[in-house]
Parts: sequence; C-alpha cells; structure tokens
Amino acid sequence: MLLLNTWRARAGFMATLMVIGGFIFLPLIWMVLTSIKPEGEIFVRIPSLLPHVPTFENYIAVFSRSDTRIQLVNSLITACGGAFLTVALATYAGYSFAKFRYAGRKPLMFLMLSAQMFPFAMLLISVYPMLQWLNLLNTRTGLIVSYIILALPSGTYMLYSYFLSIPNEIMEAARVDGAGELYILHRIVLPLAMPAMVTVGLYSFMWAWNDLLFSLTLITAPELRTVGPGLLLGYLGEGRSDWGGAMAESIVISLPVVLGFAFLQRFFIKGLTAGAVKS
Amino acid sequence: MASTQSHPSNLTRANKKRSLKWRERRIGFAFALPALIAFIFVILIPFFESLKLSLYRYTADMDAPRFIGLGNFTKLLSNPDTLTIWLNTLTFVTLTTASTFLIGLAWALVMNQAFKGRLVLRALSLLPWVLPSTVTAFLAAWIFNGQYGVLNAILLQLGVISHPIAWLAERNSAMASVILARVWLSVPLFMAFFLAGLQGVSQDQVDAARVDGCENFGVLRYVVIPHLAPTMIIVVILGTMGNLQAFDVIYALTQGGPVKATTMLSVEVYKQAFQNWDIGMACAIGVLWFVTIAVPTVFYLRILFKRED
Repeated sequence: MLLLNTWRARAGFMATLMVIGGFIFLPLIWMVLTSIKPEGEIFVRIPSLLPHVPTFENYIAVFSRSDTRIQLVNSLITACGGAFLTVALATYAGYSFAKFRYAGRKPLMFLMLSAQMFPFAMLLISVYPMLQWLNLLNTRTGLIVSYIILALPSGTYMLYSYFLSIPNEIMEAARVDGAGELYILHRIVLPLAMPAMVTVGLYSFMWAWNDLLFSLTLITAPELRTVGPGLLLGYLGEGRSDWGGAMAESIVISLPVVLGFAFLQRFFIKGLTAGAVKS
Repeated sequence: MASTQSHPSNLTRANKKRSLKWRERRIGFAFALPALIAFIFVILIPFFESLKLSLYRYTADMDAPRFIGLGNFTKLLSNPDTLTIWLNTLTFVTLTTASTFLIGLAWALVMNQAFKGRLVLRALSLLPWVLPSTVTAFLAAWIFNGQYGVLNAILLQLGVISHPIAWLAERNSAMASVILARVWLSVPLFMAFFLAGLQGVSQDQVDAARVDGCENFGVLRYVVIPHLAPTMIIVVILGTMGNLQAFDVIYALTQGGPVKATTMLSVEVYKQAFQNWDIGMACAIGVLWFVTIAVPTVFYLRILFKRED
C-alpha cells in the first residue's frame, strides 16, 4: 500500500518498525532474560543484557511450590468452565436472535449488549451476597457462573453476526425435508459455526484466565485461588523482592493462554474483528 | 389473501402454516431463554440491586441496609477526592486511548506492508494482549523498579539521570507507568482492528491516487484514512469503554497509589466495597462510574443499531 521507493520512505518505515517493535518486544525479552538469571545477577544497578550464567533455578522453584500447581489447576477448571458455559449460552442465543423472527428479539439483544456499560466491580458487589446466599461463595462453581458476565454479551453478538452470514436456505431446505429444529441447529448449523464458537470460547477462556478482579473478590480460600491473584498475593507479601521468581512464574502462568492462542490464532482475529469492523 | 376465500383446504393449509410459523417462533425464543435467564440473574438483577444500594447506608458493622436517600451522593460530592478520582480516570482513559490508537494504527500500517517475516512478527505482536494483566503489571513493576529497574539502568548509562528514580512512588510518573502498561497490552487489539480495516482498502483507489500524483502521505490522507474512518470510530469507542472498565493492571501495579494518584473509579469502587466494606458508598461511586461509561456505550449501540437497519 505504501511505496518504500525513496530513501526517506524507507527510513521512516524502518524507524517505525524499530521504535514500536522495541516498545512491544523489549519488555517481553526482558521478562524472559530476567527469569533465567541467578539472583546475584538480578540485583545490580546496571544489569547485563544476557545472563552470564543462565539458570533454570527460578522455574524449578516455581514448579516445586505446590500452591502454583494448585492455582494452575484452579484456573484451568474455572476458565474452561466459564468458556464452556459462555459458548453454550451465547450460541443458542445468537442463533435465536439471528434466525428467528419474534417480537422483542432486537430489544432483547440490545439490552444484552448494553450490559457492557455496567461496571464489573459494581455488579460484583451484588453478585457477592447472591453467591453467599446460594453457598457458592468461595467455590469454583460460583466463579465459573460469574465469569459469564465477562463475555456473554459480546460473545452473543459475535455469534449472532456469524449466524447472519449462514444462508437461511440451508435451514429452509432441512425444514422442507421434515427435520426438527433441534436437529437443524445441532447437525446442520453448528458444524458450520465452529470457527465462531471456537473464537468465542477462546475469548472467554482468555478473559477468565487473565482475570484478577472476580477471583480476588469471590475467592478467599488459598486452595481455590487462581493464577492472577496467586501471582499478585504471592509476591506482594514478600515485598516484591524475588524478581527472578516473579518473572518465571509470570511466564509459566502465561503459557496456557499463549499456547491456546497460537493454535487458534487464525480463527480468532477474524471472528473477533468481523462483528465490529463490518457486518 | 385472495386464496383464503377460494377453497376450504387452502384455508386449513394457511392456518397450518401460521401455526407452524408460531411454533417456530416459540422454539426460537426458547433457544434464547437460557442466556436471557443467566443474563437476568448475573447481570441485570445485580446491577439494579447495586443501583438501589447506592441509596442506602450499608457498612460492615450493620445487619441490614438503612435507606438514606441521596445521602451517599451528597457525601460523595462534598468529598474533594471524588473529583480527583474522576479526573484521574479521565486522564488515564484519554491518554491511554489516544496513545494506543496512534501506536496501533502505525503498527498496523507497518504490518500491512509486504516484507519477509511479517506474518510471524504480526502473530508475535499479539502477545502483550494475550498475557494476563497481572503478568503485565509485574513486568511493568520490574521495569520501573526504583532500585534495580532496567529503565533506571538505561537512563543512568545514557547519562540522562544521575541517580535512580522511584517511578512508581511519584504521582505523575506512577500515572505514566500505569498508562504505559495499559497501552502496551492494548496495542495488539487496536492493531488487529486496523489491520482488518486495511484489508478492505482497494488497490485500484491507491493506484488512482498515485496517478494523480499522491505520495505516501497523500495516499494515507485521501484513500486510507477515509476508508478506515468507521473502524476508527469503533476502535475509539470500544477502547474508551475498555479503559473505563480497566482494573486488573492498575490495581496489580500500584493498588491506586501513591496516595490516590492512580486511583480510578474502578479501583475506588473495589476498595470501598471489598476493603472498607462500605457497600452503599461503593455503589454510589459505581453509579458515577456507570454514567461515565454510558456515554461511549450509547454511541456504540447507536452505530450497531443503525447497521441492523
């Protein structure tokens, strides 16, 4: 699109690439390098870029602590649970809003979308006593149910936009053949909607895995803590001194989302921006 | 309608068709029902419940909330901290959204050029967005560390400063650190939106502009930016909404400090509710926060609504 045929254009391009590239990648590189440095090389005024004696002792320490392992399992359960629940609810609702005509379906969808203006912390203030009343406070189930708040509205809209792109004729043809509505949805439409469902699933998984606020608020038992609060509370208490360990744990708890994302990245960006950029 | 009077069998067929349509509608609504019920219980009811509680005095030492009308709000308005927090939020949201917009757009333009390794670079540059916010906050805290932080080391080496600076302990630099951390993690998302928008720019128009004598800046000015305008509006609105909701990275990096220098509405509601257990006051601040987010949301919904018609 841009022509880099002059000296000035090339210089401008390279400068932008270097400056923004540096802004994005240098912190990541620094995180990795810090995590493989021995303690003595971290606490120096002018640190060297590369570790003199690279070590995995920080990673070994992370994995030898049982609370990190427990937190990883907790996050895996709650994030998968939240994602599964969100996809299930959003798929049926998105399909309903996109493919059926009944009074009030547009207002209902916009009511759902308008939920994005409800401040999360404000919702949690009243979700907290509700969960308490149901004996779900301090449980993984309670956290999973609350994770719906994060991605149900936007997930429903993403799936709605996707279902709109599936031609009605496919369903009409099946109806003429006498297929029931459940059969049409589960056997004919859903296989076509897989990419969008994967996108919404990964999206809500990411929200839940990366969450701090909900877990910090609704979970106080250390054995149920997820990775976000685990990292925060684990290192805040020590006066934030073990930076090598903090960076190693940061990398470990980031790996599941990074890997999930790497595999499904292709679907993801398409599905995420399709609803907002064009319809 | 002409067919209804012609033959009795047509009439029953029309009826049958109508009842079929009706059945279909009922099934359609039933599909939406589970999501609607979940939505009502975890979002709608809690929202109105919190709205109601903003009119009550309700603290940890009380058994039940006591109605005090607008008491929380008059207390809120007479407290100078309220204005500070609201202005903190606006500063944070404006500077973060504007910086992310510019960097994201520039990076999308760079990533849209054909060069070797761009697909790998594009995928890798999504990383900051994928990382948990707590991780981003820790990384920022380490980089801005007052004693051993790499930022101090670089500036000392370059001779810009003569002694290390405690970035997170001073008002303005703490705010700048929080903004930088948030910009860093949202640039990839903005880039993704702009890249999707750039896919739609027609090469013919670019070529035509070139024939008319446009340089790169002309192409950007007359072809690319007008084409991206709708995307830009959506990105600004969604970015503003997201930054108004932001809590995790701010709280994990500074807990709102030093003093209240980086306390946004989100942090204040959390602290009032879950640290001071002053539920009524927390909800009143929540109302102020809700009204602030409502402004960009209404624009967003209007755009989506127009698109539906």
